[in-house]
Amino acid sequence: MVEIEALAKRYEVDGSDIVALAGIDIRIDEGEFVCLLGPSGCGKSTLLKIVAGLIRPSGGAIRIAGRPVTGPGPDRAVVFQDYALFPWMTVADNVEFGLEARGVAPARRHAVSAELLRAVGLADFAAKYPHHLSGGMKQRVSIARALAVEPVLLLMDEPFGALDAQTRYVMQQELLRIWRQYRKTVLFVTHSIEEALYLGDRVLVMTARPGRIKAEIRVASPRPRDIGGIDFAALRRQALDLLSEEIARSLEQEARAASL
Amino acid sequence: MNVVVRADAAPAAPARRRRRFSRDFLLGAGTLAAFVLLWKLVHASGLFPPWAFPAPEQVVTAFVKTLRSGELLTNTWASVERQVVGVVLAAVAGIPGGLLLGASPAFRAALLPICRMIYPIPGIAWIPLAILWFGIGFKSTVFVIFFTGIWPILFNTMAGVSTLDGQYTDVARVYLAPRMFYVRRVLIPGSLPFIITGIRLTYGVGWRVIVGAEMISSITGLGFMIDDARWQLRPDVMVAGMITIAMIGWIMENWAFDWLERVTIERWGMKSQPR
Repeated sequence: MVEIEALAKRYEVDGSDIVALAGIDIRIDEGEFVCLLGPSGCGKSTLLKIVAGLIRPSGGAIRIAGRPVTGPGPDRAVVFQDYALFPWMTVADNVEFGLEARGVAPARRHAVSAELLRAVGLADFAAKYPHHLSGGMKQRVSIARALAVEPVLLLMDEPFGALDAQTRYVMQQELLRIWRQYRKTVLFVTHSIEEALYLGDRVLVMTARPGRIKAEIRVASPRPRDIGGIDFAALRRQALDLLSEEIARSLEQEARAASL
Repeated sequence: MNVVVRADAAPAAPARRRRRFSRDFLLGAGTLAAFVLLWKLVHASGLFPPWAFPAPEQVVTAFVKTLRSGELLTNTWASVERQVVGVVLAAVAGIPGGLLLGASPAFRAALLPICRMIYPIPGIAWIPLAILWFGIGFKSTVFVIFFTGIWPILFNTMAGVSTLDGQYTDVARVYLAPRMFYVRRVLIPGSLPFIITGIRLTYGVGWRVIVGAEMISSITGLGFMIDDARWQLRPDVMVAGMITIAMIGWIMENWAFDWLERVTIERWGMKSQPR
């Protein structure tokens, strides 16, 4: 179980205090798939990075299985938007990075990467370098790298944001299959309503800055979901209404900042 | 149908590249031939006295003669040896130094000012001091190459570290990479495009300064050979020595360093523009 309590993040820009996140309370059950949906600049990626331990919060607390988060830990892995694979390592070496860092013996590492690359459909690409792969394939490698360290919580920061629509759809299905197979808890950041409703057990809609949790949408329908279908129209409407207000506010903020 | 078209189109690219390569080669070789012709014409015009201006064929003869007598090879070897030792020392000190300067703001604050003060001193200016410290010959020349050559590799490595994508560091932190593991697996390979450029530059400035250093502080080497030919009024030997320097530089640039890039950053797709 992941517990986020009264989390806040403030930072200073040119002497003025900016509140990025305020009063964030989230509980995620084990094995749950939770999507964070929000307008750009609402701090959803910042929130994810705080959970990852890459950024320190200004206030509040995070506990994973009861243990407080003070930095990166073996219980979490991150899949970044632009893959963040190391171009100088082969696909297999990239997948094994976390294990190598932990001093796992080569034979054991290779076995893990071989199994995971098979699971994401890239068994034939183990010896290739990332620049030979397409965007979708790179993101599969990045997911395999995250799974290799057997995290409790998988953090995904708009992982399919850079992909074209078809690849994106395929990757969403892939991810659900992997999620079922490996039974991870997932916190998934996105700005796409469709993606959030297609993937999540719950969708948390965030406000424009300062980022708060504005509403929670429970998606009870079984997967695979037909989000273009009639029964999803109401949920889409609801999410769109919630998000539109925040996008408008976020644009207003940007316009005000630009006119200063 | 599409597949067929693609299969046809695929080999066309290398063929075009090969054709362009041969055209470029002809253009380069043509300019070189024109240069030699011009040289010959200037010599034939009698504009310069023959003891100060050799004909191209005299240079070829001098080249063959010094090659046969072993003079050219011994001196070339002496220069190359100093050059290699100097550049390797500069890399051994400059790469870790650059990594430290790039990674640690405290190191930068402490060391960058003094580096910036020493850096503008031309390598040649170190020669008299080097002779006092190390005497004439190998050590003083290597010292001068080292002190001239360390700056490009140091500053480039530093730039490579400070421009490394922050996301790589995030990944390393997420996966709990220990410090030395991070340096070995992320920092060094990630900075390699800059490090290789640094070594290239180091090699270049080293090779430029070595001739000057050998003229003053050595009794062997290509610089010495060129300077010594002055006393014998042998401009043909001088030019033969200069051409040897050019050839070695060309070989290193086009073969050694390009090869190093091919097996590393080019293979990894990290080279920004194809040259």
